[in-house]
This record gives sequence, structure tokens and C-alpha cells, in this order.
Amino acid sequence: MHKSISSKIFDVVNIVFLLLIVVSMIIPFLNVAALSFSSNLASMSSSIILWPKEFSIEGYKTVWDRLDLWLPFLNSSIVTVVGTVMHVLLSATAAYVLIQPGLPGKRFLVSSILLTMMVPHEAIMIPLYIVNKDLGLINSLYALIISGVVSGFSILLLRNFFQQVPYEMSESAKIDGAGELRIFLTMYLPLAKAGLATVTLFEFVSRWNQFMAALLFINDQSKYTLQLALKALIIDTDSTSSNFLMTTNVRMAGVVIALIPLLLIYPYVQKYFVKGIMVGANKE
Amino acid sequence: MNKKGLSTLVFGLLTLSLVLSACGTNQTNNAATPASDNGAKGDEAPVKELRIMAGVVGGKTPEETELFEKEIERLTGIKVDINKPASDYDTKLTAAISSGEKYDLLQISKEKMNIFIEQGILTPLTDFVEGSEVLSDIPSNEWEQVKTKDGQIYGVFSKFQGGTMPIVRQDWLDKLKLKAPTTLDEFYTVLKAFKEQDPDGNGKADTYGLSTAGLYEIQGFMSAAGLKQRYVMEGDKRVIPYATEAAVPVYEWFAKIYKEGILDPNFATNDSGKMRDLFLTDRVGMVTYWDAWVGLFNNTRLQEDPNTTFQAKGIPGPAGPDGTILLRRGDPDVWVIPVNAEHPETAKQFMDWWHTEPGIILGSLGIEGEDYSVNDGKYELTETGKDHGMDHGVPFWYNQNVKPPFGNLPGVDDAQKIIVEHATVELTPPGWTDAEKILNNYAIKAMTGEMPAAEAVQKMHNELKAANLID
Amino acid sequence: MNVIKRYSTLYLMMLPILLYFIIFTYYPLLRGLIMSFQQFRLIGDTPFIGLDNYLKVLRDPFFYDVLKNTLQIGGGILIVGFVAPIVMALLLNEIAQRKFKKIIQMVIYLPHLFSWVVIGGIWIFMLSPDGGVVNEILLALGNDRPIHFLSSEAYAKWVMIFSASWKEMGYICILFLASIVSINPSLFEAARIDGANRWQLVRRITLPALYSTMKVVLLLNMMSILRMFDQIFIMRNPAIAKYVDVIMVYTYEKGIMEFNMGVATAASFIVIGMTFILTLLTRIVIRYDN
Repeated sequence: MHKSISSKIFDVVNIVFLLLIVVSMIIPFLNVAALSFSSNLASMSSSIILWPKEFSIEGYKTVWDRLDLWLPFLNSSIVTVVGTVMHVLLSATAAYVLIQPGLPGKRFLVSSILLTMMVPHEAIMIPLYIVNKDLGLINSLYALIISGVVSGFSILLLRNFFQQVPYEMSESAKIDGAGELRIFLTMYLPLAKAGLATVTLFEFVSRWNQFMAALLFINDQSKYTLQLALKALIIDTDSTSSNFLMTTNVRMAGVVIALIPLLLIYPYVQKYFVKGIMVGANKE
Repeated sequence: MNKKGLSTLVFGLLTLSLVLSACGTNQTNNAATPASDNGAKGDEAPVKELRIMAGVVGGKTPEETELFEKEIERLTGIKVDINKPASDYDTKLTAAISSGEKYDLLQISKEKMNIFIEQGILTPLTDFVEGSEVLSDIPSNEWEQVKTKDGQIYGVFSKFQGGTMPIVRQDWLDKLKLKAPTTLDEFYTVLKAFKEQDPDGNGKADTYGLSTAGLYEIQGFMSAAGLKQRYVMEGDKRVIPYATEAAVPVYEWFAKIYKEGILDPNFATNDSGKMRDLFLTDRVGMVTYWDAWVGLFNNTRLQEDPNTTFQAKGIPGPAGPDGTILLRRGDPDVWVIPVNAEHPETAKQFMDWWHTEPGIILGSLGIEGEDYSVNDGKYELTETGKDHGMDHGVPFWYNQNVKPPFGNLPGVDDAQKIIVEHATVELTPPGWTDAEKILNNYAIKAMTGEMPAAEAVQKMHNELKAANLID
Repeated sequence: MNVIKRYSTLYLMMLPILLYFIIFTYYPLLRGLIMSFQQFRLIGDTPFIGLDNYLKVLRDPFFYDVLKNTLQIGGGILIVGFVAPIVMALLLNEIAQRKFKKIIQMVIYLPHLFSWVVIGGIWIFMLSPDGGVVNEILLALGNDRPIHFLSSEAYAKWVMIFSASWKEMGYICILFLASIVSINPSLFEAARIDGANRWQLVRRITLPALYSTMKVVLLLNMMSILRMFDQIFIMRNPAIAKYVDVIMVYTYEKGIMEFNMGVATAASFIVIGMTFILTLLTRIVIRYDN
């Protein structure tokens, strides 16, 4: 196809502009990575560092061994993995129930779930704390696993995926004598793999990043999650009651460690999330 | 298996996962506090238990805090469970207390203690303190700090609280052949030299004269105007000296050094951790901070490099118009017993013990075998112990009979002398939190030159007055 | 009876989920509502005091500060965070090379993955007047002294708006791209044959095709305005608190730092009420548009 001159100019400008945006996204992370591999003193100097200065892994050693970042890392991993698995299972169960035609009370169930989506968890933090305390969950990783163990968003999203499974299939299975759970487990779950993957990845990311629940429910340092530990490490550094010299490379090493699991699942997130959110959002 | 069986089974599993997780925690929780039941079983020797929430007392890492608990049990026979959040202590404390969680001992600041007293949730300790042999050694004027208006005591010191002061790089002063400054003008000269004359000798102009953590510690300089931090009572009028006309020249002084790049441009957003790190990495020549940190600064650099020339030194701030130097003594940290404590008597016993030699050694040196060892009655610090700088919540203490086994860290003795001579406790009535916001907002504007100092002071005064925070 | 029996397995399956919502959403909501009418004391009785807590909130000058900040910052994010991704998506769609397009998509999505602790921390660092990347670049471009982005009133709100938009831009952009891709190519063909230029194609075909996605994005953004917390909590500091503190931070401070649980929950319920109204309004507007 023939292009006019102004069209060509536009193409060039456009590419340059987009490259600039990409650079603005990459530089911060490059900066962090480079600092984390710099030596203690070099990382404190006041100049842009986009490549390690005096290459060293001191930062990683300090943050992992002396500041015991492995412990919050472990806690976060437990909460993320267990929480995500339970979240997906429970949300899928609810989604399956809510696609059954003619289920008495379905409307009520759907609207009571929709309503929960409108209540910001942040707004009920204090009573939520009291509930967790009454259940003996304070200072326990269970509190973090249970917080958000099922969500209206995931239920609705999976419901939309399930609705794409032809209902006749389950009808005929029922005639053959299969129970609800069997149909759910052997027909719906495998057929809605894409939906499950989407919810799993969403949930994985948001669990890994979960901050407020951990801020409120966890007191004991041995139960700290990565986000809490990171906040102490990079935001209010005076609260880490250590007198270690905490140079910038140490802090940035902490950030890099926190990013690794997310970067590992990133390719899969890319693959599924558009599909997921489109299916999820299209219908009410 | 028939279909019904299967479905019930799988469903059961789903529900169980929820229920179990709840039960699981209940059990762990019970295990942590079964004391009241135990105590009731007369025959068995009662196991003394204590549940503590502390901000600075304990190990430096979760593992060390566990060792810390064991060490207390070894030394006192009390089974302790210490909750020591690594950050956001106030959040965790409030959340815990307001939901009715039961602790036997809390380590809190005097400011929090006053709020707690007002809420009526603390056990009075006046009789206990007066009857205690160990605690009565603490001078009575010290107790005045924590007494309520009607003379009641609700908190027992958890350590001897120091004060804050300007801390200067003595080695830089020496190198540039400068004397320790004593007036605002001299401070200016010194700080300017730190900025411009490459005191760290790396050939780059990458040093600052002064850094602070917001308004947290500018008392050393406000001293030049004879002003005291937070509230002062003039008759029965509440006054915030930082929000009065007299403070204008000091704000202007700050604006000057800020404009000339002598003051660390991040001073407003720094927290004290970042400020400390700048000082420790040769980026800044002076900070204003705690006396104890003079020693910790020197120790940290010494641990990194035994031949370091780094020398931090505490100095008095500039004297006010009448010649007095006004430094700030920190709000003391105290142990308190909430009214819903399950083991108040054990808690008292613990507080007593905390001020005896074994308690003090634990709070300072740390844990035997971990931080130090004893050979022929002589203490010896391990590598970990040296790292921890002889501070596990109690860098200094009241009990004069217990001498620090290694003396104080380098520089601390001199710094402490200055504090004892010049520092006084400040007044923090309720409402300070709100007042502080107003103060911060305008003071920082004045210090960065965003607003003329006189106008800033006028505005903060007006807003404080409008919000009924001053009289 | 028969009905219940027929559906019993389904109801049983639903039970844990309902329990969760009752215990962890509806009960706290009710409990909070009650607290907002009580005088809160840490220990001891808590008498009902009617609307006192609500009046206290409405009389507090700080509340109007945070309300204003919430609306300004939230409104800014709503606009910038809505327009920027659309522009990005349209521009990206004009790129012919597939590989280049793929790479850009991958990179701009990255910040969405990370928590505010990380993103906030990185931006605080990047914007530092002492060697922060942004200031170093500005200095190199001829700015004579570093800008104090995070301690000056003039920049504080913009920093919040732009960092939030920056973080979510890629994520939302890809949503739009997905709907662009799903446009029937024959539409473009037909328009081209009619002699439409690139801009006209965008204006007449692409943009209208994005309407439904725009509505979804708008609704999602709308609902998140009032609950903003993590970002501000991480990026605030005493110098700019007055200009960036939002309602949830106010609630947190009142409830957790100052022990005013009654006032804090009252403020929360004002937020919940506003969320309901905003959401309903948005829905009505969107429906009307249909």
C-alpha cells in the first residue's frame, strides 16, 4: 500500500514516542537492578547508575543472611500458593453453582455476591480486625490466606467461562447418572482451563502483593510477609531495629528478590489475562 | 464409590479446608496462652507465663527473638512470648489493644501511655514501684517524667532514655582544621566547608553539610533561639514555641543552607534510617540524632574497617540568647500492664528483674552463647554480639550498680554528659499529632524557602489557633 | 421439599463461600456500622451516641482536606489513567512491525504486576533530588537545580496521579488493544476503498469499537478512587501529607494511630455511602449511553 509523506512522518514520530515510553518503564527497573549489584559505598553515590558500579553481591548477602529476608519470602510463598489454590477452587465452586438454571434463590445469591464487590475492604479494616481476632487468626498466616479466599470478581469471571460450556453436555451427563460434583470436576474444570489459569494468575499476583491485610493482621516478625519486610526495608528504614549499615544496594537487592517470582510467571500472565478480563467483563 | 459418596467426600474436603485452618490456629494460640488453666491446677508447679509486645526489646531477627525468649526463661523461669513487630509498631499495637487482645506487658512510649491512661486501660503501678527495692533506686526526679497529674505511676522505664544532639564528623573537622561550632554562624561556616571542601577526599562534590529526618530533630538548632520542641506551658496557656515569631531566624537559617545546597535536599522526606545511612557513608558531615547513636555510628564503621578514620562526636547546639543550650531529652519508653492482663504479678516480677544485673546484661549485651560468652567471670563479645552493638533494647540503664562490662561505645560518654547537662523532657499533651501536621507543613515550607519564614510562622500560628491546639 | 433435596448438593457447595462472605464482609460491615454510632473505648462500655461521630467527621477541617485530595487525585487518575491508555493503544495499533509491538506490550505491562511498596519505593528513589534519575536527567537538560517532587505542594498531587497512571497504563492499554484486534478487518477495508485516511479510520471505526471497553475501564477506575490507600500510604511524607492524604489514610490515622475508632468507622461509612452512589451513578450514565 502506498503511504503519503505525512503518514511516514507520523510513523517515525510514533515509534520514537513509544520508545520513550518504553524507556520510562525500563529505566527504573534497570536502575534498581544495577544498584542491587553495586558495592555498598558505590550504591550510595549520587549519580545515575544503570550498570553495576563496582560489581558486588554484598547487597544480596546482607539482605538474605543478615536481615533474614528468606523468612518473609517463605511466608509470602506459603500464603500465595495455598491462598491461590483455595481461592480458585472456592470461586470455581461458586461459579458452577451460579450457572445452574432454575436454582431457587439464585438471584439472591448473585446479588449478595455483587454487593460484596462494592464494599471496599479498606473501609472495614477495623471490624475485620476484630473478626479475625475473635477467630484467633491474628498473627497467623491463616488470616492472610483466608482474607480474600474467594471473591465476587473471580466468581463472576469464572461464571462467564462456565457459561460457554454447552449446558446440554451436563444435562446428558446427569441423565447418565453423574452427580453435580462429578460434572463440576470432570467436565467444567477441564473445559474452562483458560478461565482457571486467568484467575490463578490474577490471584497469584495480588496475593504476592497483598499489603494491607499483612499490615493489620501480622505482628510477629517471624510471620512477616515480603511486602511488610520490604516496606521496612525501603520505605521507613528507621523501623528496622538493626544498626546494620543499610546501603542502597541492600534495599534494592530486597526489591529484586521480591520481583523474581512475578517475573517468572509473567509470560503466562500476558498470555491469559486479556482473554480472562474480556470474558469476565463483557457480561454482567 | 457411588456418586453421592463421592460428592459428599469432595465437598467435605472443601469445607474442611476452611474449618481446619480456623481450628489449626486456635490450637496454636491456645498453646501460647494456656497459663490461666495451668495455674488453676493446684498440684503442678505453676508455670509462669508472660505475653509481651515490645518495639525495641528483643532480638534483631525473629530467630534471635526466640533465643531471647529462651534466655529469659533460663534466667527467670518465666515462659515468655514476645511479639516484636519489625515495623509499624503503633499500627500493630493499637490494632491489638483495640480488639481486646490480652497482653501482660507492653513496651510503649510515654505519649502512647498518656492516651492509654485516658482510655483507662492501664493498671496503676504506684504501689508496686514504691514497694520495689530495685526500682526505688531510680531517682525520684526521673519518676516525675511519668507521673500523672494526680501523682500516679502507670509505667516503669524500660531503659534510660537519652536525648538528641548535633552529631558531627570530628575527623572531617580535624581534616579541614575547623573548631567545633558553637553559634549558628559558626555552624554555617562548618557545614559550608563540609559541602565545598571535599572532606571525604574522593575528589567529587558529593557531600552535604547537614541532614535531618524532617522536623524530627531540629531542636539542636532551635536552641539558638531559645525554643523548646513541642509544647510549653506559659501559665495555663499552651504554646508551641516552634510556631512563634522567635523561630523565624532559625527557619531562615535553614532556608539559607537549603538554598545553598548545604542541607541534604531530601531532609523533608528522609526517615531517620536514610539519614543515618548518609552519615555512615561519608555523604553528610552532620546529623542530629540520639546520643547512643554516636557510639553506634563509630561502632558500625569500626566493624566494617578496623582502621577507619571515621569519628562521630556529639556536640551541644548553639546557645540561646540567655546563654542556655536547650537539647531534647526523648520521651521515655515504659513497660505498662493493661488491665486485661492475665498475669499481672508475673509482669511486675519481670519488670523488677529487668532492672537487675541479669536483665540489664540481656537488654544490652544480649544472649549468652549468642552475643557473648563468659570466661573466668569475664565477658567476651562474639562476632554477632559486636554486630549488635550491645543494644537489645537497653543501651543505657538506671541501675548504677551495674557497670557496662565493656564501657560504653566510643564517643557515647561525652555525648551523654552533654545530654545530662542540657537536655530536658518535653511536654506532649493530646492533640500533638494534629498540631504536628500543621507545624510540619509550614515549617518545611519555610525551611525550603517555598514560603517566607515570617509568613509560615504566622500561618501555622493561625491554623493552630483555629483548630484550638494552642491558647 | 423436593426442590431443596434436588439442589442440596449445590447448596452445600455454596455454603463455605456464603459463610466466608457473611463472616468476612457482611458481619464486619454491620459491626462497623454499629461502632460508628458508639463512643469507642478500648476497654469498658461503649454507649451509643447517635450521630456524634459523623458530626465530628463533618466538622473536622482535616476531613475536608482529605476529601478534596481524594477527589483531585482520584479525578486526575480517572482522567489521565483513562486517556493515556487509549492513546497508547491507538498509537501501538499503528505500528506495523509485529515484533516491536509485542516487545512494547510486554514492557508496558510490567509495572502493573508489582506492589505499591515496590513501585512507590522505586519512584521515591527515582524522584529524589539527591541523585534520582529524573532529576539527573532534568539537570542534564539544563534545569539549574533539582526539583523536590516529593516535598513540595506544587508537585505532590501530580506525582501521585502520574505514578498511578504510569503503573496501570500498560494493563489498561492492553485491554483496549484486545478490543481493537477484535474489530472485523473488513470494516477497515471498506473504509479504505471509500478513501478514508488513517485518522478517519481511527475516528470512525476504531474509537467507536472501544466504547464497551471504555465503560468497563471507567467503572473499574471509578470504584477504585475512594479506596485508594496503598499508594498514598507508601509515598506520603510529613512535608506533603496535607496535600496527598486521602480518605482511607485519614480513616487509618484516626482509627489506628489516634484511637478514635468511632470517628474512623463513621468516616469509613461515609466512604462506603459515596462508593455506592458513585457506582450507581456511573452505571446509570453508562446505561443511558447505551
